[in-house]
Amino acid sequence: MTIAVLLKQVPDTTARITVSGGMVDEAAVGKWSMSPYDEYALEYALQLKESGGDDLIAITCGPARASKILTDAAAVGADSLVHVLTEDSGMDSSNVQSLLAAAIRHVGADVVLCGKQAADTNAGSTGPGVASILGFTCVGMVSEVSTDADGFLAMRMSPSGNEKVSVSKPCLFAFDKASMEMRRPNVRGIMMAKKKAVESLTPTDLGVSLIDSRVSLESHSAPAEKPPGQKFEGASSVPTVVSKLRDEANVI
Amino acid sequence: MEVTIIAETTGDSLHPVTAQLVGAACSMDGTPTVICPGGIGAEEASSISGVNKVISAEGDCFDSFDSGAWANAISPLCEGVVMSSSSAHGREVLAQVAAIRQIPVIQDATGLGGGIRVTRPIYSGKAIETSVVSPPCAISVRQNSFESPGNEGSAEISTVNNSSDVGVSVREALAKANEKLDVSEADIIISGGRGMGDPSNFSHLYEIADVVGAAVGASRAAVDTWDEIPHGMQVGQTGKTVNPSLYIAVGISGAIQHLAGMRSSKYIVAINKDPDAPIFGVADYGIVSTWEEALPVLKDELAKL
Amino acid sequence: MPYDALDFYDVDSLLTEEERMVRDMVRDFVDNEVLPKIEHACRDGVFPDEWREELGNMGVLGAPLEGYGCPGLSYAAYGVICRELERGDSGLRSFASVQGSLAMYPIWDFGSEDQKNHYLPKMASGEWIGCFGLTEPDYGSNPGDMITRAEDMGDHYLLNGAKMWITNGTNAQVAVVWAKLDGVIRGFIVEKDDEGFSAPEMKGKHSLKASVTSELVFQDCKIPKDRILPGVKGLRGPFSCLNNARYGISWGAIGAAQACFDSAREYALSRIQFEHPIASYQLVQNKLSWMLREITKAQLLAFHLSQKKDAGTWIPEHISLAKMNNVDIALEIARVARDIHGANGILDEYPVMRHMANLESVKTYEGTHDIHNLILGRHITGIQAFTRSIE
Repeated sequence: MTIAVLLKQVPDTTARITVSGGMVDEAAVGKWSMSPYDEYALEYALQLKESGGDDLIAITCGPARASKILTDAAAVGADSLVHVLTEDSGMDSSNVQSLLAAAIRHVGADVVLCGKQAADTNAGSTGPGVASILGFTCVGMVSEVSTDADGFLAMRMSPSGNEKVSVSKPCLFAFDKASMEMRRPNVRGIMMAKKKAVESLTPTDLGVSLIDSRVSLESHSAPAEKPPGQKFEGASSVPTVVSKLRDEANVI
Repeated sequence: MEVTIIAETTGDSLHPVTAQLVGAACSMDGTPTVICPGGIGAEEASSISGVNKVISAEGDCFDSFDSGAWANAISPLCEGVVMSSSSAHGREVLAQVAAIRQIPVIQDATGLGGGIRVTRPIYSGKAIETSVVSPPCAISVRQNSFESPGNEGSAEISTVNNSSDVGVSVREALAKANEKLDVSEADIIISGGRGMGDPSNFSHLYEIADVVGAAVGASRAAVDTWDEIPHGMQVGQTGKTVNPSLYIAVGISGAIQHLAGMRSSKYIVAINKDPDAPIFGVADYGIVSTWEEALPVLKDELAKL
Repeated sequence: MPYDALDFYDVDSLLTEEERMVRDMVRDFVDNEVLPKIEHACRDGVFPDEWREELGNMGVLGAPLEGYGCPGLSYAAYGVICRELERGDSGLRSFASVQGSLAMYPIWDFGSEDQKNHYLPKMASGEWIGCFGLTEPDYGSNPGDMITRAEDMGDHYLLNGAKMWITNGTNAQVAVVWAKLDGVIRGFIVEKDDEGFSAPEMKGKHSLKASVTSELVFQDCKIPKDRILPGVKGLRGPFSCLNNARYGISWGAIGAAQACFDSAREYALSRIQFEHPIASYQLVQNKLSWMLREITKAQLLAFHLSQKKDAGTWIPEHISLAKMNNVDIALEIARVARDIHGANGILDEYPVMRHMANLESVKTYEGTHDIHNLILGRHITGIQAFTRSIE
């Protein structure tokens, strides 16, 4: 079993996002981190490796700065590191999917773990899209995965609760919030990580020709300011507040 | 413009978002065809105003959820703009339909305009992205972003049997665990303070929490006063710092230490009988009322959703 | 919410990638495992055992030592570890300082090969706790006149005397004890179960409450002959340990100061008086900008010292200056932060009063503030002013 985990570097979820000139200002982002759902994927990838996996390969697609999260993955136990170098951070999901699928073929992984969506684009297309390109079985909303006989057992969220499902290789698991947090590295892991080489690959190296995106990004904007707080008198106002929560705030 | 809507179902019927998808399609002058996976809700779909055609997609693969199998079975039926709900299932199927059909995909749209101009929140709502895409493409839409049209339609229903190989087999279905959600993990929190009068009154908060899948929290005053309220529930300076989408503070005055733990919540509702309570200073929606009067109404209203 | 450390001059960008990864690891530990428990640990007066275990798991004990299960990190990394730990609590940093610099270091530098192999791996992993016995009830700043004595009994040594203010003492499996043998200060390794040795805990501290402080009592304590540290004689032994520990403190104090600044800033922004946040008033801004100024200077001082330490171009007086200055400003920052918090500042809902009380100890231990002034005075003038007799 060769395991790949797909990781994305995103602005830390606590970072302030500023829009200037109609675009999110990436240069103003103070802190970049591994996308939180990817951390869960990495933790379970490590557990699969420990329960009889061969190699665990951490793969990221992004600009040069993104290699930091590969080193972080090495510090907790990833065996090898692949960086698909692209300078365009706003790349179309279809291109990202093609590149990651090619990288997975390149390393020969037969089980892939990733987060259900990245904390920047919040889309959730990459995992299922990669599975589709590779012809891997896709399991989303996963909170746990373990090996079972000749395949895997996974826990995933379902509309009525949770489901324990079984799948065989080749397959892809997209993680929701999982039962276990990513482990903390230790000093030994950090010192080893420094020595691990990152294999940098360009789209050409992977034999992928990027297509012109059919989605053209027009602009980014700051979200509408919340209206000032409103105060209502008496319990009879509760239905009004509930409908505002649904229609204005969109939180229930 | 052809629009194909992948219906969202819940149990044996359509989820309300399906009708909203029809509303979204019509707002772009689209001609919507609704595909009902597993044939669920086909009759219902045909009655939604504005629907042109309904395809009842039957096949063994729809007995359980395997997004890849569903996408394989559905994608040959899709034309033009393919739309789904941006629920977890909706996104997963749509992303694979897009990959199979080699069309661009945009997830979680909250606004659609001519052209097709799509707006969607990114960075967890810290920014809004606007992009333009032309058919064929795939777009998932967030629940409650569009109005549902009425129920005056009578579209023709055709049945297609298009199964596909299933790779995911469900071993065991586990009902929603009845265990209490932790405040640090919940997207909705309802917290009580010393204004609840007695720890046994927290049962009213738990009842509401069950309705909306919320966690129950407490202020330090409540935790310190009543042994029945454990420290793990405490939100605030020395308790947990939370940032859910919705925080409902009941009988909490809003001491600075409490505000430190919850003020970054996206939306805050405060229920307090004292109109001058500082909690109203951070609340998006304040309700001046006793909890005894407000909570039963709140529970009923939330249950209606 | 992960902690965003004040680093006005971006001094941490001068660290290596590896040093920053070590920083993030310790920071994560403090955020997730120390801060949620620290106030209870202080109220109960205990050092939670799971912290010992996790410090061992992370591999930060004896960080700058190499071999024998120790990682051999840079002194810059060791400084960063101390800073991040002390942002949690000075008691936690004290645990790590005593274990690494005061108990492991003398064995590593002055011990026999057998002693190193026997003790260091288990101390690096946190399995064994170490302590350091130098100060006595009547000899603090003046350790040279200690009265604890060792006697050579032919097939063993016999220790008699008492040590005081010993961090980790009661919990320690291993004590490095300094005692006079034929009038010369020597280091001895005493084990918990040695006959005639006891380590009662000192109770009633208003400071470092989440740290164990003990007396070490030796009453005809029998020590096997192979437990003497062969590599050093005289005060140079304990002083070389203290140099490393003081170096760590100079970094650690910055962590406590950063925590106080952070809390004061947050509080000032959210506390409304006279209809505006108190952060909008000039007197409060003056206090905050002074804190920023002093923390930034302390950071530069500590960083430059780390480079000298790693390059081997340091002298003990460099460390005296850094320890004295950084603890001094940290304590003053804690006091001002408490002031900004108003009455709320005395509650354990905020970390400031805890840091303030802790730093009173830190100012005194490992060479008091005044003793470091005297060390610098001697360096400047060539005249020692510790005693009245001028030599």
